[in-house]
Amino acid sequence: MVKVEKKKLIAAVLVIFLLFPLILPRFYVYLTSLIMIYGLLATSLNLVLGYGGIFQFHHCVFYGVGAYATALILTKTSLHPIFAFIAGPICGSVLSLILGIVCIRLSKLYFGMLQISLGSLVWAIVYRWYSFTGGDDGIHGIPIPEIFASTNGAFYFALMITTVSMFVIYGIVNSPFGKTLQGIRDNPVRCEMIGVNVRLHQLLALTISGFFAGVAGMLFVVVDTTVFPELLFWTLSLEVLIMCLVGGWFTFFGPMLGAGIIILLRTVVSTYTVYWALVLGIILTLVIFFLPNGVLGFIEEKFGRGLKRENV
Amino acid sequence: MDIYTILSQVLVGLSRTVILFIVSSGLSLILGVLRIPNVAHGSLYMLGAYTAYTISKFFGGQDLGFWVALIGAPLFVALVSFIAERCVFQFLYEREHLMLLLLTFGFSLIFGDLVKMVWGGEYKTVPVPKVFQGYILLFRHLHLPLYNAFLLIIGPLVAFLLWLFVNKTKMGKISRAAAVDREMVGAVGINVSWVFGMTFVAGCFLAGLGGMLVAPTISVTLGMDHSLIMESFLIVIIGGLGNIWGALIGALIFGLTQSIGILIWPKFGIILPYAAVVMVLTFKPKGLLKSTW
Amino acid sequence: MFEAKGLSKSFDGFMAVSRVDLSVEKGEMVAVIGPNGAGKTTFFNLITGILKPDSGRIVYKGEDITGLSPYEIFRKGISRSFQIVNVFQRLTVFENVQLSVLSRENKTWDLITNASKLYTDETEKILEQVGLLEKKNTVSGFLSHGEQKILEIAIALGGKPEFMILDEPTAGMSPEETVRCMELIKRLREEMDLTILFCEHDMDVVFGYANRIMVMVRGETIIQGTCDEVKCNRLVQEAYLGLSDE
Repeated sequence: MVKVEKKKLIAAVLVIFLLFPLILPRFYVYLTSLIMIYGLLATSLNLVLGYGGIFQFHHCVFYGVGAYATALILTKTSLHPIFAFIAGPICGSVLSLILGIVCIRLSKLYFGMLQISLGSLVWAIVYRWYSFTGGDDGIHGIPIPEIFASTNGAFYFALMITTVSMFVIYGIVNSPFGKTLQGIRDNPVRCEMIGVNVRLHQLLALTISGFFAGVAGMLFVVVDTTVFPELLFWTLSLEVLIMCLVGGWFTFFGPMLGAGIIILLRTVVSTYTVYWALVLGIILTLVIFFLPNGVLGFIEEKFGRGLKRENV
Repeated sequence: MDIYTILSQVLVGLSRTVILFIVSSGLSLILGVLRIPNVAHGSLYMLGAYTAYTISKFFGGQDLGFWVALIGAPLFVALVSFIAERCVFQFLYEREHLMLLLLTFGFSLIFGDLVKMVWGGEYKTVPVPKVFQGYILLFRHLHLPLYNAFLLIIGPLVAFLLWLFVNKTKMGKISRAAAVDREMVGAVGINVSWVFGMTFVAGCFLAGLGGMLVAPTISVTLGMDHSLIMESFLIVIIGGLGNIWGALIGALIFGLTQSIGILIWPKFGIILPYAAVVMVLTFKPKGLLKSTW
Repeated sequence: MFEAKGLSKSFDGFMAVSRVDLSVEKGEMVAVIGPNGAGKTTFFNLITGILKPDSGRIVYKGEDITGLSPYEIFRKGISRSFQIVNVFQRLTVFENVQLSVLSRENKTWDLITNASKLYTDETEKILEQVGLLEKKNTVSGFLSHGEQKILEIAIALGGKPEFMILDEPTAGMSPEETVRCMELIKRLREEMDLTILFCEHDMDVVFGYANRIMVMVRGETIIQGTCDEVKCNRLVQEAYLGLSDE
């Protein structure tokens, strides 16, 4: 019964989202697109973080590289736009695999620290390679195929891709591979002892996660028609981590919810003060103290499904 | 490119090494004993630099201001970290690394904005004290700015004092023991929380000192913490987590490859130190020296 | 069926395991005993590939398996349980065992199928055999210590092993739990035709269930033999039994 209700809920949310452009002003449509993009990004991170237990501290590298790949093909080549939309995710996953190979031999925190540092190198290269990437100016006014060019067109495109991606990630999480990944998270040594090649599984997970980060990056280009180096700066990665945490990183929809909460809060707070970072820092500290399982984790705990996995 | 250009660039690299070492040894201390990947460490470094600016300005840019700042700025940073540690961090030592990382990131956001509130967004400069203006002539064409010479003396001095602290004081010995086995230290009746707190403050003091020392050589600005904290992370990793001598070796590798890299390939020389790190970790995945983990 | 020849391993000059020989025949239940720090767990880690031996060879069914990775050794049919509780804390009991079955069937790379429908019968059968079926939807981190140790064995069973290595299966259990656990192991051995190598502190358990015993002290084997031979050996009495009587 719970399952049916869940399906209904998802269908209802989708229908409401479909109606958004008809009832909301343009700015809010744009904002919803952004929430979907960051939600997808956070979900893709959570695949390796919450489900895989891999400390992917600098996830935005793949997001940013995906966005740049899409933007560069759209602006600098005359290839069909479809190549640009494919190139983003591919570049994200390839880079993720490469960084993964370099870092995976290290244990948890080492992995995270090396990954965040190497990611900063990628940022530095994008930032300095003025002739190719536009340096700190980034690239503006990227030509988007006409059907997606309007705010509403971009919204529907983002909605479609995000929905499909979320379904695919959901499938992966519940597949044998997803279960194995969760096993590795809980106990890599034991996993090895039941015949799982832990590192190869982790690498595949990282590649998939990088792929969807690239998808999010590609969507950002469509929605925002710009790219800039901040997309792959490490502070953004930690903000995405915060989204996972706030929403609840042992739940599937937590990161999406967290993205919604953080982006809406940022929009509201920014109208009052320039010190959004200060507010975010305080919120983060409070969440760590009082809501360590995130909003969705808290709800699941309160209205219990009986599975309090977070407290173990 | 003659030999003098290279040598003077090496000297620049060594001065950079001193700063990197001081900051990352503090980071390493905190990582080794408390197991906190302290992202706010960079912000404390920035805070040290800004405090140095204020103190120096208070004394009208006189030399005295520099000397007062040399002591005062790190102490102020230590005080700030002490408050943060007692009020927040001490309750969360048992949490996962990820939570601690995010918590310290939260603090770095808060510190960053507080610095912006207090000092504003403009560039600040801290004058080099008059005694350190000018150069020493090492060889015929090899000049060393006096301030860099000062840094080259300070670096080994800090390393020596740190060695004394860790190996010869009771506090240092306890903190080393706590790094290996905190339950045991607690079991023999030592207040572990207090040891951790003091180690944290000592580490942050070093961040402040690094920031203070770097202030006269650069323009003090918001965001100066961002690149430094990443470099410090790398240094700590290649040195071996929690190993202070590892931090020294890591800083040497990083500082030298960085300065040489800039010399041979100005635009992308920054890649060289990262490449060095990847090489080191390919052969020694746990860092060059023994980690305390 | 299984043979270890001259296995040695040292850590920083300390000989944890020194020239240990052991052969196990099909259907046997062999116990390894020895005081704390005798190198039993290190020995098991060597056999199961977690550690690489400095010297010596491990042969299983006529095949040299020295230096293989743990996951490769598992696939040869050698399963192991751990001394400390080593289950997948956040997965349910069902998922714990199912994961082991999935892995054996090489399904861990499957990204598409919904896992909850796979191998349910086999998983539930294993859970029934060990008596954990009622708890199948409990998150394993919430099980009692004794139940987690049983689950540990159930995970090992998921690999359809022929040779099971149990590292102190009853560690931390109450006397009643110990008896129940050993009876379970005995029953499983008969039902599934297993060969078992285990180590254990409780002498009653060892003498009550093992066919053959190997005694390790300070990394070396001092004697191998039947229960009676071991009981009567003077060295063993001095080194081990004497200590536990005090």
